[in-house]
Amino acid sequence: MSLDNFKDRNAGVQNYRLLELEPTPTTGWGKFKQVLIRSVKLELLVGLKVTIREMFKALFGGQMHTTKYPFEKLPISPRYRAIHEMKRLLESGHYRCIGCGLCEKICIANCIRIDTRYDENQRKEVSDYTINLGRCIFCGYCAEVCPELAIVHSGRYETASEQRASFTDFADMLTPLDELKKQKEFPGFGAVSPNADENIKKTPLAY
Amino acid sequence: MSEVKNMKNKTVTVTIDGKKITANYGKTILEVARENGIYIPTMCYLTKVEPIASCRMCVVEVEGVDGMILSCQEKAVDGAVIRTNSKELETERQNIMKLYDVNHPLECGVCDKSGECDLQNKTLEFGVPEQSFSAKDMFRPVQNWGFISYDPSLCILCERCVRVCNEIVGSEQLQISPGGYKSTIVNTKPENDCVSCGECMAVCPVGALVSTDFKYTANAWELNKIPSACALCSSGCQMYYDVKHGSISDPQEKIYRVTNEAEFSSLCGAGRFGFDYANTTAFKDKAKFEQAVEALKKADSIAFSSVITNEEALLLKNIAQETGAKLVCADAAGFAKFLKAYSSTSGRNFWSANLKTVAQSDSIIVFGLRVKDEAPMVKNHIAMAVKRNKAKVVYMHPMEDYAISNLVSKFIKYEAGSEEGVAAMLLEFLTRGKEMPDSLKEFVEELDIGNISGESSVSEEEIESLKLEFWKKKRFTLIVGEDLYNHPQAENIAKMLGVIERYSDFDLLIVPPRSNSLGVALVCDDLEANAEGYTVGYNAPGDFVLSALGGGDLDMPAINQQEGTIATVDKRVVPLNAALGYDGYVLNDLANALGVGKKYTIDLTKELPENRGFKAVEFDSLECVKFSPLGEDLRGYELKTVKKRASSKLEDVEDLPSFDGVVVYNCNSASNPNPFTQKAKLTAKEPKLIGSKQFAQAAKLSDGEKVEFEAEGQRCVRVFSIDTKMKGTIALNPTFDMGLSAFAVSSYKFYKVNISKVGSADE
Ligand code: SF4
Ligand code: SF4
Ligand code: SF4
Ligand code: SF4
Ligand code: SF4
Ligand code: FES
Repeated sequence: MSLDNFKDRNAGVQNYRLLELEPTPTTGWGKFKQVLIRSVKLELLVGLKVTIREMFKALFGGQMHTTKYPFEKLPISPRYRAIHEMKRLLESGHYRCIGCGLCEKICIANCIRIDTRYDENQRKEVSDYTINLGRCIFCGYCAEVCPELAIVHSGRYETASEQRASFTDFADMLTPLDELKKQKEFPGFGAVSPNADENIKKTPLAY
Repeated sequence: MSEVKNMKNKTVTVTIDGKKITANYGKTILEVARENGIYIPTMCYLTKVEPIASCRMCVVEVEGVDGMILSCQEKAVDGAVIRTNSKELETERQNIMKLYDVNHPLECGVCDKSGECDLQNKTLEFGVPEQSFSAKDMFRPVQNWGFISYDPSLCILCERCVRVCNEIVGSEQLQISPGGYKSTIVNTKPENDCVSCGECMAVCPVGALVSTDFKYTANAWELNKIPSACALCSSGCQMYYDVKHGSISDPQEKIYRVTNEAEFSSLCGAGRFGFDYANTTAFKDKAKFEQAVEALKKADSIAFSSVITNEEALLLKNIAQETGAKLVCADAAGFAKFLKAYSSTSGRNFWSANLKTVAQSDSIIVFGLRVKDEAPMVKNHIAMAVKRNKAKVVYMHPMEDYAISNLVSKFIKYEAGSEEGVAAMLLEFLTRGKEMPDSLKEFVEELDIGNISGESSVSEEEIESLKLEFWKKKRFTLIVGEDLYNHPQAENIAKMLGVIERYSDFDLLIVPPRSNSLGVALVCDDLEANAEGYTVGYNAPGDFVLSALGGGDLDMPAINQQEGTIATVDKRVVPLNAALGYDGYVLNDLANALGVGKKYTIDLTKELPENRGFKAVEFDSLECVKFSPLGEDLRGYELKTVKKRASSKLEDVEDLPSFDGVVVYNCNSASNPNPFTQKAKLTAKEPKLIGSKQFAQAAKLSDGEKVEFEAEGQRCVRVFSIDTKMKGTIALNPTFDMGLSAFAVSSYKFYKVNISKVGSADE
């Protein structure tokens, strides 16, 4: 299609078809007759029949279709991007984040801040990590860029609270230590691709 | 001589990548390429030192020559046809990168250098696709060298650090310990011998040498680089303040570190590590402001230090003109008079040498300046002259400085106070056989050298031996410093130096005593050294104190919180930028209240006096960072040198004052030159009176004793410490802890003291 086709505002000949409807009554008598017929024909019940049938099915036939939120929740896609989580290393339980600052750099809402320092073990310690969720647009870039698969999105989409900041305390985002065994990898943005093994080139080692 | 001249003017024509280029003879291929904007990748090359030639990254092909040529080392010869790119060169460079990458830790994620790392950049640039080499890895622990940490496993052994430490700093601290894959850099001397300038760290292309304080606190890309110049001494070195918000809970901007264009220029320890002296607690205190205005209205004297910008100096001058106050600048008044006296006999408004010509000299005399401590950048340029031109350095001072004994070829000790006599002896020796007006010849003939020699204890043989030192040398520089400016006979010394400069082979470098003493001397005429009556002090003591250090009556911004210009030892006017914000009142507000202010302080930049060498240019047109492709400093602008008629009038040499008893010398160390750096976290030190064993005996003191004495009208309480390597009977007394009074010192730097003991150090 060329640009000209778009620019052509002339609708041209269209295949519109006029519905063959009864003529609208014009006389007073004619109008009265129409009202009378529509009232006594009980067309309304014809429509309600479907509803009532479904209602009975739901109540007594065990075929309910609504979810009783917040008592029930629908499962969401594992790739859904809700409030962030910080993963831990499975072996040691240490947080995975190395404080590289890439998430802070890539964040387009500029809402991540990290404090790091040189700790007693000569490591880079992440002393604090925050996301201003009031600004976060849940784009997932932080999770995608993270080289350590540390910051990911969880399925926690309920963000109503007095202070959204309370969701993003570093300690709060981290997998609780006692639930380490239950920690799952995030399959969304930034996850290892299924064929990752094939793409690895081995570096020669001299040992 | 004519041969040298011919060589100088000779040009060569080379073809690089098909482009015909004419260049001066003697340049390397790399230099010619860079001057003409042709890119040749390098790894170890550093513009400011001689080619290191350790990386082989800069290889090029020259037609008719077998193999590859190191372009950083090889001179461009006439007619050469050079190719900087080919399949083979590409493979060669890629292999070099592969070798560098062998066992290099994959820790860019935490490395301080990440984002500005040459290894990262070049690995990416040459698209190293996979590693084909390997070596057995080994345990290489991180070493802490004080301000600097060394991580051997990140080191690529480019040798830049070793080279700058030797060739630029002259400290010879670092060495490469060879051993193939096991090679490392070793710190050869104990920690305290390193001058802690951080030069090695600045030139390290990777994260092997990093600042211990900065380590892991921020990433390169987060920091906002504010280009400025260091205003801690008169060298005005180019620098960036790297700023970022304090932390998650502290949104206030903070200086994290100082960096510089390390490819071309250098910094000393004070500039690099003593950066956090900003006055951050100031706020607009209306009542105090009104008081300050009243104080200025009634002031008889306005005292200030010369650690201020030219614009501030002009504001003070305008205020003083308005109120009729006297301008008092203790640390620049002597220098201003000295400069005037020097001009009268030299016939020029500024000294002829600059840092660059010092580095190009092959014969240097340092006189009246403890150069390593008081002018670290001058010392660096002396080191360059020694290392590159085998320069002979004659160091004339009452105190030997063992820390630069590797640079000094002859130390001539004179008695404290005898500078005038020494200047006369130099004058006699250096102008021998030169054309001079008769009156000067007469003056020289009438000098009683025997007597002077006796009193100054500089023997005639010592002076004669200079002949041997400077045998067959070509470029001579005489460097003089702060000891002379407040000498009772300073003006006559200056006149003699003027004559030396005019009639001998020597160029002269007069090192201004503080950051902007030169600017202050040029902007304000008739500076006085001592205040009278009611005094308002601007960064100086007074009855009403405006202080950038904090703790005064009204807060003022520190020099890294304001825009302005300073005049450097290179006779250049360089701009400063504000690294941090400032919430209080500034001097311009006070000037406005008195009706002599401007909208902005920097509106005054174009009003700096043109008849004293300044240019009428806008502040915003001055550049903070400007270097030629080969590293020439082009920041700001150069003060205009004017030649004028020279007088030949010298005064007779006075009898020398005697300095018996316990003598101390005011001197701060290079990394902590003034109370501002004493406020900084890293450079602050405990003030210690430091003397030799001999001094300890003479003053009957022992190591670690707490002593008390009066210096500059202030009581100093210090711990006495013996430095076993020191000689002589004069002790070093720091002034950095004296607060603003440190800027009010206008007396001769050596003085007698009565020391009383007040206990031992731990009391
Ligand atoms: S999801 Fe996007 S906006 Fe939110 S923190 Fe991550 S990068 Fe920033
Ligand atoms: S990108 Fe990942 S590892 Fe890097 S700072 Fe962010 S969360 Fe930590
Ligand atoms: S030195 Fe460079 S390549 Fe090596 S870890 Fe640091 S940033 Fe990465
Ligand atoms: S420490 Fe840095 S500058 Fe020194 S050799 Fe190693 S990589 Fe080069
Ligand atoms: S103190 Fe002087 S020598 Fe040191 S960095 Fe600052 S201006 Fe340069
Ligand atoms: S740049 Fe020439 S050998 Fe390194």
